Amino acid sequence: MNNDIAIRTEDLTKAYKSFWGRRKILALDKLNIAIQKGEIFGLLGPNGSGKTTTLKLLLGLITPTDGRAYVLGKSTNDVAIKSKIGFLPEESCFYRFLNADETLDFYGQLFRIPGKERKLRINRLVEQAGLEFARKRPLRQYSKGMLRRIGIAQALINDPDLVILDEPTSGLDPIGTRETKDIILALKERGKTVLLCSHLLSDVQDICDRVAILDKGKLQLAGTIDELLSSKNVVEILIRNLPDEAIIEVETFIKEKKGEVISIKNSSGTLEDLFLKIHAANISNSKTDV
Amino acid sequence: MQQILVIARQTFKEAVRNKILFVFIILGLTTICCSVFMPVVGDGREKIKIVESMCFRSITFFGTLAAILLSASSIPTDIENGVLSTVTTKPVQRTTIILGKIIGFIYIIGVLLIVMGGVSYALIKFTALKQSHQGNSELMVRDQFDPDTLQITGEPTRKIGNVSWIEGGGKGSSVWKFKGLYSKDRNDDLEIKADFLVESKKRYDWGIPVNIKIINHVTGKVLTESIEISRNKPGLLRLNGESLEGSGELTIVVSPENSGDYIGISSDSLRVFFGKKSFGYNFLKGLTIISFQFFLMVIIAVLGSTFLSLPVNILFCLFVFFCGNITDFMRDLSTVINVFETHEHEHGLSALMKKSNVFVILLDYVIRKPILLLSYILPDLRNFSVGKYFTDGINIPCKTVFMSFGYAVLYTFFCLPVSFVVFKRREMA
Repeated sequence: MNNDIAIRTEDLTKAYKSFWGRRKILALDKLNIAIQKGEIFGLLGPNGSGKTTTLKLLLGLITPTDGRAYVLGKSTNDVAIKSKIGFLPEESCFYRFLNADETLDFYGQLFRIPGKERKLRINRLVEQAGLEFARKRPLRQYSKGMLRRIGIAQALINDPDLVILDEPTSGLDPIGTRETKDIILALKERGKTVLLCSHLLSDVQDICDRVAILDKGKLQLAGTIDELLSSKNVVEILIRNLPDEAIIEVETFIKEKKGEVISIKNSSGTLEDLFLKIHAANISNSKTDV
Repeated sequence: MQQILVIARQTFKEAVRNKILFVFIILGLTTICCSVFMPVVGDGREKIKIVESMCFRSITFFGTLAAILLSASSIPTDIENGVLSTVTTKPVQRTTIILGKIIGFIYIIGVLLIVMGGVSYALIKFTALKQSHQGNSELMVRDQFDPDTLQITGEPTRKIGNVSWIEGGGKGSSVWKFKGLYSKDRNDDLEIKADFLVESKKRYDWGIPVNIKIINHVTGKVLTESIEISRNKPGLLRLNGESLEGSGELTIVVSPENSGDYIGISSDSLRVFFGKKSFGYNFLKGLTIISFQFFLMVIIAVLGSTFLSLPVNILFCLFVFFCGNITDFMRDLSTVINVFETHEHEHGLSALMKKSNVFVILLDYVIRKPILLLSYILPDLRNFSVGKYFTDGINIPCKTVFMSFGYAVLYTFFCLPVSFVVFKRREMA
């Protein structure tokens, strides 16, 4: 097997059976993907398309009806390989009677991380998750966003080579979403592989190197973002400080060259950018007040 | 091992933080303490008996309930909440999860047992102290001796199953030999308990008179006593320990006094109680045996939780607990159904049963055989029943402790691998 491949599936199929053992739902149908080490790979698709089923198969939570899957060169049944994997489930499923420190400590102990090292990692991750103010509060008192943050922290407690994230930004506010994206990008910079599944397309587009689109359990499309989205006969030029007369001249020039101008408009940012700008301004104001 | 202990601590922490452990402790202690206020008819010993009985029943009931509810619900709830699907994505074997959970439940039940046992012991001691101040009773237990041999002289009038019927008036007698009756204290009382079936051609108000002759072969002393034994109340004879002087052996000859009176005896109808033993040690043995039952229920509940949903698993465990206490009855019931086919005097249903028809076959395959099979598959929880020892003030033989331990271990060896295999195959969907 190629050492550069983090995840590979071969005709991976999962059919859920009815009570009487008959095939009921074909959740995943002959999936073939290969994810390179060090890349951020996005798994896209509508609800019920087979994204979560794929992740569960890769993590050995469920067994495939047919086909095979390899994670970091090993079979998904290999328990030892899980020490190199970090996983964030779709729902934040943790013991709600534990606080943030205890939750991370519990998972850290399952990874057999020595005490001192575990403590350091817990402190770093709690800080990274922005949960220092609530670290001693039981998780049952956490909001959905806070649970998501502690979920991401527990997925990283073992400093994994492969991080599998199921809807990582679900329930997070724009700041949390941005921070999560930054964490994912930082992981990539450190050479980690990230597989994330989401139906928030903008998030995936922002950070993923490659994506695969699933629908009704079947792989519809796979490739880099540029490959999938670039249109060869449409050109986009972004210009700063161009006077109005010059715009008219450019438009005339394009028409002379038999090109078709689709739209000319002032560039607008995204709502996310605007939100983050306001938030940053508020923070700096409150610091000045102090 | 480290991971097992991590999961065990987590399981224990869950029971503490969710306050379920405290609820069981408070309920158990309330019942135990209520035993002091139970009205008693009889002497001080009766009062102690009531307290002992209530304490052990409370410990058994609340301990078993805790064992069933906690261990039957933990794994299904964790699966339902998705916690286990997160845990199983870590480098943890599923067998580790099962073992960790079991050890966690043992922690919980252990704490419950220590607290309830400690309070019970203090309460029994306190009650006994109070009674002894009034000169009523002391807190001791005695060894129970079963007969070494039983011989019947003369012809038994009839024999049904293992019960032989002997007629009085010199027509027959039963000769029981007891061995190993030694005590450090020569003044120990010796108690003979005759639990016979009785019948008579005459009408008695209380019971039939029975002659009991106690022979000490070493000293040659012969003691003859007469007691009355009725249908519902066993005969009791208390003797001074001196009748055993120089010998650990006794021969007891029992026969009804009058012709026309009958006693029905089996090999364990006559028992001797002798020697004084520490109550505390006996109490500890009792708690140990009960803890084996809790352990067994935990193992069964964990087995059920590997493939059953929460409500079904609780029902399954309660069913096992209920049937485990009536395995004898289940076997008897199965025999009763079978007797229909073989009994000599057929009337009504039994006559119908004699003929091989659909009803007979259905009854045999749908009721009798499954009941019989269940009675052998399900654990016989009477092996862990200690109530009778404390009610009668009998020293629990060490053999019984080891037997119950062996039984629990045997059952565990069967259930645990099945749990491992089933849970390994279970999908965390």
